[in-house]
Amino acid sequence: MATSIWTLQLHTVSVPLRIPSKAVDFRTKYLFDYAFWRYTRKRTFKKLGVVALGDSFTNGDGKNSKNLPDEVMVVKSEKRSLPVLLQQTVTKLQESVKSLPPATLLVKKHSGVSLAIGLSTMLTLLVFMVRSYLAKRSRRNRPGSVADLVRRGQLKSDRRGISNPLKYDDPFNNPLVKVSKSNSTVEMCGKVYRLAPVTLTKEQQAVHQKRRSRAYQWKRPTLFLREGDSVPPDVDPDTIRWIPANHPFATTASEIDEDLAQTNVYQKHGVPFRIQAEHEALQRKLEALQSVSNHSP
Amino acid sequence: MLSLQPLSNPKPSSLYSSSSSFTPPNSLSSKTLKTPPAFRPSRNFYPSVHSILQYNRKPQLAGDTPRVVVITSGKGGVGKTTTTANIGLSLARLGFSVVAIDCDVGLRNLDLLLGLENRVNYTVVEVLNGDCRLDQALVRDKRWSNFELLCISKPRSKLPIGFGGKALVWLVDALKARDEGVPDFILIDCPAGIDAGFITAITPANEAVLVTTPDITSLRDADRVTGLLECDGIRDIKMMVNRVRTDMIKGEDMMSVLDVQEMLGLPLLGVIPEDSEVIRSTNRGYPLVLNKPPALAGLAFEQAAWRLVEQDSMETVMVEEEPKKRGFFSFFGR
Repeated sequence: MATSIWTLQLHTVSVPLRIPSKAVDFRTKYLFDYAFWRYTRKRTFKKLGVVALGDSFTNGDGKNSKNLPDEVMVVKSEKRSLPVLLQQTVTKLQESVKSLPPATLLVKKHSGVSLAIGLSTMLTLLVFMVRSYLAKRSRRNRPGSVADLVRRGQLKSDRRGISNPLKYDDPFNNPLVKVSKSNSTVEMCGKVYRLAPVTLTKEQQAVHQKRRSRAYQWKRPTLFLREGDSVPPDVDPDTIRWIPANHPFATTASEIDEDLAQTNVYQKHGVPFRIQAEHEALQRKLEALQSVSNHSP
Repeated sequence: MLSLQPLSNPKPSSLYSSSSSFTPPNSLSSKTLKTPPAFRPSRNFYPSVHSILQYNRKPQLAGDTPRVVVITSGKGGVGKTTTTANIGLSLARLGFSVVAIDCDVGLRNLDLLLGLENRVNYTVVEVLNGDCRLDQALVRDKRWSNFELLCISKPRSKLPIGFGGKALVWLVDALKARDEGVPDFILIDCPAGIDAGFITAITPANEAVLVTTPDITSLRDADRVTGLLECDGIRDIKMMVNRVRTDMIKGEDMMSVLDVQEMLGLPLLGVIPEDSEVIRSTNRGYPLVLNKPPALAGLAFEQAAWRLVEQDSMETVMVEEEPKKRGFFSFFGR
């Protein structure tokens, strides 16, 4: 059976065998091992020779043909009976196909039972996975659980089980800050930096301060006036700041006086001043209305 | 970015040999925690300690509370608000109570950086007008409950500048007199420029943090602002150099931190490297110092906050990036 299949395959291949072998070599379609190709070719030829021999026997000139070399036989037999050979191989193929046990029957034999087993296994697995997933979700969502605390940032997951709580992270003794033994380099966040000492001395600081005090003469403005206001007589003009009328956020006008604002800031308890004032005004108005309505009838 | 001191230093309580303003431990306020001696590593105890600073130590608060710190710069866009948000939250994480006042009257942004923009209902202008009390205007951060935000005004309302500066002094007094106790730090986010807003913002401050970037425009403004602050009587000024790029310094395209210091003559509070995480955290409304794992800039902000608490300044600065020394077998993997 196997040989018959071989014949069929090689027969289809053997159709371009008449083309010179050099041409076949260059074809990308037939890029298989050349040695294998030659081997199969020879085998096919032998086969064909045998077939041809059988034909010659039937024709009656078997004695001569027996002694002839294979190649000649092949040429002859190919010339004579290529359609016959094709037919034969096709029938052989059909036979071989027939002789194989039908695959559908093999499946059908136990299909009912195994399908049920497979389906139930799949179903069980699915149910198991869904249940475990739901359990995990519900465990995570449970309020007050450790996972919940960690998620909300109440508990540090990296410090669980450590009895003394770390109240603060020392930025200098961080694992990401490493100073070399010679104190000349420091490694921060995986990068190594060279360290240089600060050279600023007290004298230099004093020199800079003196320079600045000479360069910038400034008095803090204590009086803010709107443009157009008159300057009060006993005021140093350096301490006046002129605020333009259309200044985006600063205004010199204020609805409340300074003392009241101060008491508002210092107020610790109770109703804020303005809320109370508005409330009282409303109440007074209401009382007035009520008195009017009482008097009128 | 680091200030270092060898382990063999005879005065271990002040880790980094500090500036003259450091108060000795005896005169510290009652809030200061004593360092537990058990945590103090010595050379014998940890022979191969890499980090020379103490483990799990709380910074020691120097100076009188409340420490009113104004965070200013002449130029806009150098990172005043980012610095205020990050330093403020770092201080809160270190256990100090902090009130951050956004004095940027016209263009306030601190609430956005902290992610508290939806919770600002009342501002100082309403408090002055008597529409609400001061405790109603303070917005408490839910992440760190010892951090509170106070905005001066809503973007559309106008601040009566006639007593703007005085109003801030009253605010500080009112915060001192609160039932919860005196806050440790009052951080004032100053507006850009030297306009009326700047004058208002610096009024109650005792010390200043000058934020600058290593470029000449920012440096000129910083120098002028420092002059104005000194004229106003604020002597304790420290500078913070922001957006430093070590790769550009190495190529001599950017001034180094030491050059900046030479030009301004101010002690260094911190050096913040340029970091893309800053923009990301700003957009998220989640300050950089809360990032896990910490970013490079976040670490630098935390260290600056630590120095601010101890009234310390940097002794050593990171100048350039060195190629990391790789081991012989490093080509096998990372």
